[in-house]
Amino acid sequence: MEAPLTRLILTLPASLIGEFYPLLQRGFLVTAHVGCTLQRLLCHQWGIAPEYLTTRITTIFLNAKAIDDVASAVVRDGATIALSGAMPGLVGATMRRGGHLAAMRSSMTHQETATGAIDRIGTVRLKLFNILLPELGPEFLKRGLLMSCDEVTAFFRERDETFWKACDGAVLNGTPVGSGLLQSTNPLCTGGTVRLTVNFR
Amino acid sequence: MDKIARINMGAAGGPKVTVEGLGEYAGLGGRAMTSLVIAKEVHPLCHPLGAENKLVIAPGMLSGTTGSMTGRLSVGCKSPLTGTIKESNAGGQAAQVLARLGYAAVILEGKPEGDDLYKILINKDGIQVIVDNSLKELDNYPVIEKLRKEYGDKVAYMSIGTAGERKLLAASIACTDPELRPTRHCGRGGVGAVMGAKRVKAIILDDAGMKMRPPKDPEKYRDANRKFVEGLRKHPVTGEGLPAYGTNVLTNVLNEAGGYPTYNFKTGQFAGGANISGEAQAELEVKRGGTATHGCHRGCVIQCSGIYNDKDGHYLTKQPEYETVWSHGGHCGIDDLDTIARLDFMDDNIGVDTIEMGVTIGVAMDAGIIEFGDKEGAIRLMEEVGKGTPLGRILGSGAAVTGKVYGVERVPVVKDQALPAYDPRPIQGIGVTYATSTQGADHTAGYAIATNILKVGGDVDPLKTEGQIELSRNLQIATAAIDSTGMCLFIAFAIMDQPETFQALLDMLGSFHGITMTGDDVVALGKKVLSAERDFNTRAGFSKQHDRLPRFFYTEPIAPHNQTFMMKDEELDDVFNW
Repeated sequence: MEAPLTRLILTLPASLIGEFYPLLQRGFLVTAHVGCTLQRLLCHQWGIAPEYLTTRITTIFLNAKAIDDVASAVVRDGATIALSGAMPGLVGATMRRGGHLAAMRSSMTHQETATGAIDRIGTVRLKLFNILLPELGPEFLKRGLLMSCDEVTAFFRERDETFWKACDGAVLNGTPVGSGLLQSTNPLCTGGTVRLTVNFR
Repeated sequence: MDKIARINMGAAGGPKVTVEGLGEYAGLGGRAMTSLVIAKEVHPLCHPLGAENKLVIAPGMLSGTTGSMTGRLSVGCKSPLTGTIKESNAGGQAAQVLARLGYAAVILEGKPEGDDLYKILINKDGIQVIVDNSLKELDNYPVIEKLRKEYGDKVAYMSIGTAGERKLLAASIACTDPELRPTRHCGRGGVGAVMGAKRVKAIILDDAGMKMRPPKDPEKYRDANRKFVEGLRKHPVTGEGLPAYGTNVLTNVLNEAGGYPTYNFKTGQFAGGANISGEAQAELEVKRGGTATHGCHRGCVIQCSGIYNDKDGHYLTKQPEYETVWSHGGHCGIDDLDTIARLDFMDDNIGVDTIEMGVTIGVAMDAGIIEFGDKEGAIRLMEEVGKGTPLGRILGSGAAVTGKVYGVERVPVVKDQALPAYDPRPIQGIGVTYATSTQGADHTAGYAIATNILKVGGDVDPLKTEGQIELSRNLQIATAAIDSTGMCLFIAFAIMDQPETFQALLDMLGSFHGITMTGDDVVALGKKVLSAERDFNTRAGFSKQHDRLPRFFYTEPIAPHNQTFMMKDEELDDVFNW
């Protein structure tokens, strides 16, 4: 039998956003309506302003392939999307969407075939890098990240004193719990998926 | 900068200093100066560690001025690592101070008899070459500590570590940063071995009593510099990404792209990448009381460096660059920032190129000397280099030598210089530059300079495959020119994207020298430098067959894109047809 979804909500000072950067970089699952274009997913479903997409999210990977055209690339169930700001270096410039140097990485540029793109509710793995971490991270944390129980347990295990001093508890499946439970060796979940939601005050 | 100093280290009776006018080298700086001197004056078939080779040290065309980002120092010679012409440049304070002292170049010539070790003091009163055998067998940090007691803190230092003294092929030349730490290195090509061969341990540059170099048109220069700085500050790469995360901001992106060479170029993604990313590094640096934003020389507005402290909050090293984090990290299967930082310190202290050393250790791992991911083992190997043991001397001679000695087939080098941190299979365009560069595999040989604005060779259709040859050619031409100005290469992004910032750069050069400078002039300078370098290499015995990547890039597909390097030989041969 599939383990039930565990819902965990944290409320923390905004200064602790950096504690979540490792999670956001490694990638987290989010539920999404898939089978649509990347532009539709980013702007319509996730509410990212088109101008922000144009000016700030200048490097995008879909399943490790560089994206030039967000209006034609289709997101399928199980896809991995990575979002980044403008990067330094020749290769950083090469990876830019529709950049002058795009030819230098033509063999790993995404080519859309539109096959196998089914319109449905699914999950995608999202990774946020560099300048987008502080800018987009809080909003995705507020919506909730889907993580495995092991990932969540590992995350709490790796936190140091700074984090625990500022964390005065959480809400676990609708019930307030103390931070001691999150630090305890008793697992707060046993298998299955956790929706981790973080509100910053 | 109206004079050139020639120091004949092998003169009868001891080193002899001659100061002369610029002559045919007037108007040159940085790479243009080093490469044109070497191409004209050095026998291409000489032994790189012999008396016939020369070591040319040249500040850039705008170094020593009030201009921002003007502090790159070029060092040129025939490379003992590659056998080609070599220009290697670094930040730090040396270029600014040397330029203010009025020297467009200091050229070390000849080779002394005997075992004495020298230091060279350059100040407003002239140049002294002094025997100082107390510096023997000291590494860079102790050398600088010792020299500071004698010459103080208001100078700039250049030095070699024990690797340079031992003439190891990976040896670098260190330049001190504003805090007088020997953290900025002319790293590539074994230039430190050439300085060691000339028995010069350190150069002390003291500009007390000297003034900033005055521009021909001060008002226009000030205005151009202001616009240039504004352009750098408003650009997301130079104004945000680099100051916040440094060059290591590339780790996540390259890893995601599948272009991050891992386990000695066996795969294009590293599972531990996020643990050693620039984002993780910056968080850790700030948490430990260091900083993620720091300039390598005064006058830098990008501030892409930082200070990396240990767990107890004590200085460990400067912020390791992307290339270092990769070479000692993903390339070797190591995902621990503290280990990488320690290796970075050892590179700087012993005085070796971080790319060459990291790649070499990866090759040694492939040879089975230690396992991939063995953190303590990697440190032990570096200690061998520092001690100068037989194994250490092999490793310190670079990836090509180590691969030959241990019978490793997968050795990522071009012209015997280790490849940097971008796999040329998913990113074929950079493979073109690695293969054809006059310097051996070098990611900065064809940087992201404003070829779109310069329109070098006309407009290129970036969607066509042949565009990669065009782009590499144009980038190499433009980079050779920028390397001659003494400007940091990281200005590239702002001048590529913002025509007004590119114009400001041209106006800085023009108003300083009292000339009108156009994009065409920049292109002409770049071509002149590259032509001289290609000509030297041809005379040194290099041909188009040397402009190739190692065969495994053509035969072994790399995950996740399962690509091989597909550029045809005849296409590579076309890069330098202009």
